[in-house]
Amino acid sequence: MTGVWFLDVPENRPIVDVVAQDPTVRVTRVGPYFGVESDGAIVIDRRSTGVRHAVWYSCVAGLSVSRITQWDKDALRVEAR
Amino acid sequence: MRHVRVGLVVPSSNVTVEHEMPLLLRRHESATFSFHASRMRMAKVSPSQLAAMNAQRERCVIELGDSDPDVMLYACLVALMAAGPGEHQRVEHLVAEQLAAGGSRALVRSSAGALVEGLRALGARRIGLVTPYMEPLARTVVAYLEHEGFEVPQWRALEVEDNREVGRIAGHRVMAAARSLALEGLDALVISACVQMPSLDLVEPAEAEFGLPVLSAATAGAYSVLRAVGLPPALPAAGRLLRPDAASPAA
Amino acid sequence: MTDLTGRHLVRGVDHAAFPTFDPAGTVTFYRDVLGLPVVHSICAAGWGPEDHPDFIHFFFDIGNGDRIAFFYYFGLERPERLDRGDSFAQFGSDVPEYFVRSRHLALHVDSEEALLEYRRRLDASSWPVEMQLQHETIESIYTHDPNGYFFEITRALRPVTPQEDLDANLTIDALVDIVSRPGHTLDDLLARKAELIVERAGAWQEQQDAVRQNITQPSGVHA
Repeated sequence: MTGVWFLDVPENRPIVDVVAQDPTVRVTRVGPYFGVESDGAIVIDRRSTGVRHAVWYSCVAGLSVSRITQWDKDALRVEAR
Repeated sequence: MRHVRVGLVVPSSNVTVEHEMPLLLRRHESATFSFHASRMRMAKVSPSQLAAMNAQRERCVIELGDSDPDVMLYACLVALMAAGPGEHQRVEHLVAEQLAAGGSRALVRSSAGALVEGLRALGARRIGLVTPYMEPLARTVVAYLEHEGFEVPQWRALEVEDNREVGRIAGHRVMAAARSLALEGLDALVISACVQMPSLDLVEPAEAEFGLPVLSAATAGAYSVLRAVGLPPALPAAGRLLRPDAASPAA
Repeated sequence: MTDLTGRHLVRGVDHAAFPTFDPAGTVTFYRDVLGLPVVHSICAAGWGPEDHPDFIHFFFDIGNGDRIAFFYYFGLERPERLDRGDSFAQFGSDVPEYFVRSRHLALHVDSEEALLEYRRRLDASSWPVEMQLQHETIESIYTHDPNGYFFEITRALRPVTPQEDLDANLTIDALVDIVSRPGHTLDDLLARKAELIVERAGAWQEQQDAVRQNITQPSGVHA
């Protein structure tokens, strides 16, 4: 299983909104964090989020038994460890 | 025997403090003292000349700092008091900061702060004051001491503006001014609130005549210097403040 | 007497001090261009065991009573300049730029108008703004002062939220936990931080909600 965490601040909302539309992911909430889980890889397209670079490159709060395999101007990709 | 270097910041026309401080401190039984003075130009004791003199303070401190003194005394009482309440604390702080910034360990005192320290050590509340100043300046000194918590119901201003003249005021004039005060109910008499007005020889006779503690800018300065460097503040024939058998003063 | 044990007692920056070999440029930059008043100066000499030259220590007001201060030492030779750096530290070309810039002073302003006013002043001077950047939640302008010190003025795009304080604490706790592992990476930190989120974030939220409840519904008062 793949799991990535985002802090609930206004700047991160577009990212969570985009990933929530993916039918393969589940979005949970622990305190002020969104937990995004999936049985496969989690992929977020940067352009579809519309966030600034500074936000994009600091949006990940935590990784549950997962690792980042891509984090660049195109996409964030998280896969099971 | 311990040796103490005393730096003196003095008005250029002052001739008394460099005379009276050595006279006083050479009577100390457990230390020797040397005196190193730096001068600020000042001829007339007027507000504008006092302000101009204070601007020379930093240079004087630089010069004296080079002599590595143990303690530095800013020896012009009225220059500080004329600048308004609390000025001696402000200036002592600035000089201490200047010295500390350059790594000097010299302690800093002022004759204005020393007079307050001496009066407090005597436990005095109501005091009499003889000053050489023009009356407006004398009023400023009175107000300064009142701000420090003293009552000054009795005071005299001899109205001598030329500072060289102040250094020549005869003792009998100072005593006459003191005699004209109503001293009943006072806790102490400041026979000279000025380091330039000669008064050292008057302190003991005045105590005998008036029956109350008498101090001067010079005896208070010596007291403060001794306390600063951790020596017993005891000197013979310099009044109650410095009497060796005096009860140890309140801090 | 008040018990001060454990209390947060400091109140901002008294002064941050830097050496200068260009006091005239420094006064022009801070006092004349930025408009920070000179508020204090000390003239002194090296009287201590370390025999240093005569010097001037001078201070500019950076707001809130805080101060930036400089030392100018008379006759002290400027160290031979390597490729980059400032009056305090020089770096060879092997040292990356991000590292050289990592140590810097950032002054705070309250509004976009204030930030743009300082941008205007700098752009009209010999030290124009080199970049203007929006980070996550702040916007900053940058230049180098006459001494080569990297200088920033910044404003908040929005107030910091309570959850960001929690997040910062979880990040730092995670960092402290993993930093002794050989070869540790950001990946280790994010894995450890996910554990801390699961452990602590829920309880934190309940506590926040309880506090909010108390504020919005004072006991005994009902509309």
